[in-house]
Amino acid sequence: MSRFFATGSDSESEESSSAEEITPKATGTAFNKQNLLLSDDEEDTKRVVRSAKDKRFEELTNLIKTIRNAMKIRDMAKCLEEFEQLCRAFLKSKAIVDKEGVPPFYIRLLADLEDYLNQLWEDKEGKKKMNKNNAKALSSLRQKIRKYNRDFETEIANYKENPEQSAEEEEEKEEAESGSYSESEDDGEGVTAKSFMKKKPAAEPAPEASKFLKGAADDESESDDDDDDEIWGSDSTDSGSESEDNEGNAASLALAFLKKAQDGDRQADRKKEERKRRSKRKERAEEEAEEEGLEQEGGEWEKVKGGVPLVKEKPKMFAKGTEINIPVVVKKLNEILQARGKKGTDRAAQIELLHALAAISEENNLGQGIMVKIKFNIIASLYDYNPNLATFMKPDMWKKCLDCIDELLDILFENSNIFIGENIAEDSESLAVSDQPFRVRGCILTLVERMDEEFTKIMQNTDPHSQEYVDNLKDEGRVCNIIDRLLQYLENKGSTEEVCRVYLRRIMHTYYKFDYKTHRRCMGIQGESKSEQDQEESEGEDSAIIMDRLCKFIYAKDRTDRIRTCAILCHIYHHALHSRWYQARDLMLMSHLQDNIQHADPPVQILYNRTMVQLGICAFRQGMIKDAHNALLDIQSSGRAKELLGQGLLMRNMQERNAEQEKIEKRRQVPFHMHINLELLECVYLVSAMLLEIPYMAAHEFDARRRMISKQFHHQLRVGERQPLLGPPESMREHVVAASKAMKMGDWRTCHSFIINEKMNSKVWDLFPEAQRVREMLVRKIQEESLRTYLFTYSSVYDSISMETLAEMFQLELPTVHSIISKMIINEELMASLDQPTQTVVMHRTEPTSLQNMALQLAEKLGGLVENNERVFDLKQGVYGSYFNRDQKGGYQQKQGYQRDSDQRGGYQQRQGYQRDSDQRGGYQQRQGYQRDSDQRGGYQQRQGYQRDQKGGYQQKQGYRGGYRSQNQSSY
Amino acid sequence: MALRRDPASGNSLDSPVKQIQIEGLVVMKIIKHYQEEGQGSEVVQGVLLGLVVEDRLEITNCFPFPQHTEDDADFDEVQYQMEMMRSLRHVNIDHLHVGWYQSTFYGSFVSRALLDSQFSYQHAIEESVVLIYDPIKTAQGSLSLKAYRLTPKLMEICKEKDFSTEGLKKASVGYENMFEEVPIVIRNSHLINVLLWELEDKSTVADKHELLNLSSGSHLEKCLQMLMDRVDEMSQDIVKYNNYSRSLSKQQQQKHQYVQRRQQENAQRQSRGEPPLPEEDLTKLFKPPQAPPRMDSLLIAGQINTYCQTVKEFTSQNLGKLFMAEALQGQGS
Repeated sequence: MSRFFATGSDSESEESSSAEEITPKATGTAFNKQNLLLSDDEEDTKRVVRSAKDKRFEELTNLIKTIRNAMKIRDMAKCLEEFEQLCRAFLKSKAIVDKEGVPPFYIRLLADLEDYLNQLWEDKEGKKKMNKNNAKALSSLRQKIRKYNRDFETEIANYKENPEQSAEEEEEKEEAESGSYSESEDDGEGVTAKSFMKKKPAAEPAPEASKFLKGAADDESESDDDDDDEIWGSDSTDSGSESEDNEGNAASLALAFLKKAQDGDRQADRKKEERKRRSKRKERAEEEAEEEGLEQEGGEWEKVKGGVPLVKEKPKMFAKGTEINIPVVVKKLNEILQARGKKGTDRAAQIELLHALAAISEENNLGQGIMVKIKFNIIASLYDYNPNLATFMKPDMWKKCLDCIDELLDILFENSNIFIGENIAEDSESLAVSDQPFRVRGCILTLVERMDEEFTKIMQNTDPHSQEYVDNLKDEGRVCNIIDRLLQYLENKGSTEEVCRVYLRRIMHTYYKFDYKTHRRCMGIQGESKSEQDQEESEGEDSAIIMDRLCKFIYAKDRTDRIRTCAILCHIYHHALHSRWYQARDLMLMSHLQDNIQHADPPVQILYNRTMVQLGICAFRQGMIKDAHNALLDIQSSGRAKELLGQGLLMRNMQERNAEQEKIEKRRQVPFHMHINLELLECVYLVSAMLLEIPYMAAHEFDARRRMISKQFHHQLRVGERQPLLGPPESMREHVVAASKAMKMGDWRTCHSFIINEKMNSKVWDLFPEAQRVREMLVRKIQEESLRTYLFTYSSVYDSISMETLAEMFQLELPTVHSIISKMIINEELMASLDQPTQTVVMHRTEPTSLQNMALQLAEKLGGLVENNERVFDLKQGVYGSYFNRDQKGGYQQKQGYQRDSDQRGGYQQRQGYQRDSDQRGGYQQRQGYQRDSDQRGGYQQRQGYQRDQKGGYQQKQGYRGGYRSQNQSSY
Repeated sequence: MALRRDPASGNSLDSPVKQIQIEGLVVMKIIKHYQEEGQGSEVVQGVLLGLVVEDRLEITNCFPFPQHTEDDADFDEVQYQMEMMRSLRHVNIDHLHVGWYQSTFYGSFVSRALLDSQFSYQHAIEESVVLIYDPIKTAQGSLSLKAYRLTPKLMEICKEKDFSTEGLKKASVGYENMFEEVPIVIRNSHLINVLLWELEDKSTVADKHELLNLSSGSHLEKCLQMLMDRVDEMSQDIVKYNNYSRSLSKQQQQKHQYVQRRQQENAQRQSRGEPPLPEEDLTKLFKPPQAPPRMDSLLIAGQINTYCQTVKEFTSQNLGKLFMAEALQGQGS
């Protein structure tokens, strides 16, 4: 208790006061600087308050001086400006004013100003002389002051009656007030507030202030009851303050040395009131939140009582000899909690106190009920520790939090007779040890969810390439463990809703992890690797089974759409990750998520994007190039894959995104350990695009209406072409471009060596769990597509070609070559027929020459021209469906047939010896029909399947990108 | 130099030119000009000199326009021409300006620029013609030189600068009758003829295989390509026109409605005895949409027409060649 020394010490710490002043305002990081308990930093507080008041009043007087000057020179604009500033300053110093009453000089100014303005207003002549700016300022200022003065009517009236006296009165009142303070500030402040109210009923400066005062009074009555004399009573009484100093004036810096202490006291009071008011604001908000039952922190805060909880002596929780029982502890707990969220509260100390309380209650064997309750509060305070949502927990705090939750779960598991729930009212809690089960208010699920979020935050804020990240990541096991235990607990006790929530948490921690154990088991090499690794991963269950069970439960039971959507996406992701392509695809199509994902919130959309990408990569591994391409198209074509997957922010100028948005976006980021490798993604996309695009380009070389399958791939090709000097490929993209060029020539070996080599292996292919299988698939695809490209490109050169030669050239088996060529013939991509006995492909040589192609194009264009012309004609006639229209319809549909009858057109070439008239051809096709082996048919039908997919599924999600973007825009 | 035929046989400005007689010299000069300066799709131009004899325009000489380069922008063409003609006059050459010539690339010469310059020529000197020289066709073995004049109808329109639909309709100008082709006769002096005779005897067998070249696909392709481009342009033009007429009719409708409403109101007012509403300027209320100029599409149509002509000509020739070749092959085998 250093109060009495305060007087002596303040001179040397005077300098520091200005610095101290700022500290309370500084955000969470500053709390370390403050001393732990309020009683210890009393002197500081005094000085802070003192200078605060002085400063405020000085500010006011300065402003008033300027206003008076402006009045003198009739500068209305300046006057208005200053007045506005004054109002603001006054509002800022409201706290002090509430305490002190409205300073007389302020009232004086208001009254004078109003008079002055009225006088000016009446003076028509003068007004006319004024310049426009001034006149405008005058009128607005007049209105303002009229409105403003309404709040101070009484004071102004008083002042006008007796200008001198009112000032004196003011001082008297002050005196009276300060006299009435009982010197233990903690106890006294309520009284002060009350007396303040009573004494100065007329002096309520503003309605706002009165509200506060009332609130204070209400609360005070409560806290009076609550406050335990045992704690506060020990305070020594102080000498009454008979200060006559005119505190109000800023000029009164020359205070009597002695009196400082008392002033300090008073100001401390004032300060506390201020603090209280602030806390009350918060409290109100909290109460509201609680009423909704949605409070995050577990809802322990039934009511934060007014008054500042000042625990004077840390070690001494309870006075000696007090019987420690449950009501006492609860009371104490409430006291501690009252400080929550207040400005001056030391959160670290609060946590300490709670821990101490927990220890005491354990010592005294107060039962598990109270323990649970205290634990809830400890965890909540831990979360509270950081006032800012963006900052993340300190590692030690985080450890503590995990420990606490673990302990809490231990208690809950041990004692099955504890009921917890967020909707158990405070007063219906039963904490006492009795036959009845415990009933404790609080929600363990929200605590764990919050913990999970904190974990994500920690991971987001750690440098992913540091050892620290690895260390942090090790905690994931504990997090999962806690979630698992909670899951077990809630499965027994929780409602389905809660179970769904905790299931989702569990899913979120499972879906992105590749299950190596099961994978190895599937690969059949489990026997040799029964190492410690296996034991580590002994999850008991296959993650696929867990996912399946949890997701299905959610599908069946969940009521909120969001949880189900997330669960479906995670499920698909998990399927895709483990190469269960068909399940994943079916689930994706069945869920119809593609239709409405654009309505979801950004995190879900990010999850959706991740899922789509994983789906695409899965399809690629399975060799379904087209599906892979379709799934990846949207993400890749935007060029913002990084952003869409939540794996980083794109550089953008500040116009598009201010700091606030950036913060929001940063919070959406996926932690590094969940990232999808972007290079892998791009490579998969480009390779699939290559496998699709190159044969397509070869087939439609002369087609004027050729569409690009993949814009991005074309872009890469163009970039490659623009290179002045073509060195050996370095990057992944260059490899793909080089491979594409080789493929264009049908040179599969070069293509293969570009796609699969040391560099690409280390960059991309080795990242797949079944790298070897993927590579084999890829080689095969390259061979097949190269063969197709070769046939498209060079078929015009051949009259016939032996399939054996082709098989040798492309190192494919004869049946495969046969099936590929047959497929091409069936699809009318290749005008040729197979000659069975000699195993050769006989070209019909019916592909139109470039001239013929040109003529076809011209015909098409002319068709368009005629159509346009007819529209003009129609307009003139005003009749639709005229003669021309009918004619045209018949005529221009024929043009689609052109391609098909091209073999007839090539009539004179038939003479060259391959006379295959129509019936022969038909015959061949029949032969073809029964020779079609099963895999070929399967392939063909699958093709149709793709198209269906394409229409039904992937194409639809066109909208989602727009959705995300537009949502972004709207939310920014 | 060129042998001049009785020059001043009377001024026949009022009679249109029915025939053009070109000196061989002029043809050679034009060809030489292109070969020296024109590359690829570049176009060379020059001035024709000569005089009118009855209804026959005789072109006796020419000189090229110098090639423009970017850096000498202040080069005065008119000055150059005048000086050139003056100099030619000094050496006793016809110095009357009777038109101009231009090379063409695959027959694409019908353009706005040509129209404008030919108009100004014809406006100033009535008998002026434009000679179009197609070097590519010439290279294939048949000299292609054509003379064109604007028809009087087109002259009228150009004079009035009225290229709207109505204007063109009134003048009944179609793409067929924009230009009139004037028959050309190439004439050499006797001396030159004699010289040629002599040369023919002396010279070795000329390479005439170009004429029988069968691989004409590339030329045809090129033609088709250009034809397609023009068709595209045409299409766009039509769409533009279509939009215009649609908006016009829409506005017409609105206008009609407005007038009707106004009439009804006025009738009501009249029955109530109030004065009718003042007449407002309807054109101010409804500004008619900007009509697209039709001249361009007319020109495109004309161009398409020439392309078609070329292709037709070309294919008929080629077919003949093909049949011939077939017959020869049949004999050979």
